[in-house]
Amino acid sequence: MTLTYMNIMLAFTISLLGMLTYRSHLVASLLCLEGMMMSLFIMATLIASNMHFPLINIMPIILLVFAACETAVGLALLISISNTYGLDYVHNLNLLQC
Amino acid sequence: MAYILFTLSVLLVMGFVGFSSKPSPIYGGLALTVSGVVGCVIVLNCGGGYMGLMMFLVYLGGMMVVFGYTTAMAIEEYPETWGSGLEVLGGLLVGLMMEVMLVLWVLSLNEAVVVVVGFSDTGDWVIFEGEGSGLIRGDSIGAGALYDYGRWLVVVAGWTLFVGVYVVIEIVRGN
Repeated sequence: MTLTYMNIMLAFTISLLGMLTYRSHLVASLLCLEGMMMSLFIMATLIASNMHFPLINIMPIILLVFAACETAVGLALLISISNTYGLDYVHNLNLLQC
Repeated sequence: MAYILFTLSVLLVMGFVGFSSKPSPIYGGLALTVSGVVGCVIVLNCGGGYMGLMMFLVYLGGMMVVFGYTTAMAIEEYPETWGSGLEVLGGLLVGLMMEVMLVLWVLSLNEAVVVVVGFSDTGDWVIFEGEGSGLIRGDSIGAGALYDYGRWLVVVAGWTLFVGVYVVIEIVRGN
């Protein structure tokens, strides 16, 4: 069981690294953010099931609710960027550049 | 069949490497959907039927659909897949190789470390069932407690979702 937990934490770290590195698209980083939320959900649910402590299950449900809100706002920002620049390329976002 | 949970967690990491190596986002969405399916089956294997199906519903049925439509609006003409460039392919191969080496390393540990980090072959699927009534599903009871002990949290979360819709409309309106 320890290796399963280790794999899920490794999945979280891989998604974190994927979110922090930009290539060309912005929506790929949003996808990695979704991956982070999903790995946290799976981890919390497994802990709730394996420790026979069902009351922990409230936490992943609420995490999912706020992750959905965050996704909606992120995608809305993506749409407004795409409306301004045509595509969501990261090198278009250069208003604060020296 | 005894190692199903361990195998599924390895597949989960491989799916996560698939979209973290940053192909074009439509292929990343596909990898995230596959990872979501694998994750749901992991949760189901530990006895969490309610939570797994809820993840299917909210994540794959809700958020991935919205991601798919949004990506279709903001995509380029020739999306790059995993094999169409050295960067994406290199990231994918490095991630997969890292996972394989981790599994081989854990399987070859000696007795000193095996208690903490080791690979126990029956620890996956043996879920300890205590005596007493077997008709209570743990995760459904826990999710039901959300509406009992956490009723103010439900009100706050519902209000957050409601305001979130207005926030999204204001952002998209622009000008």
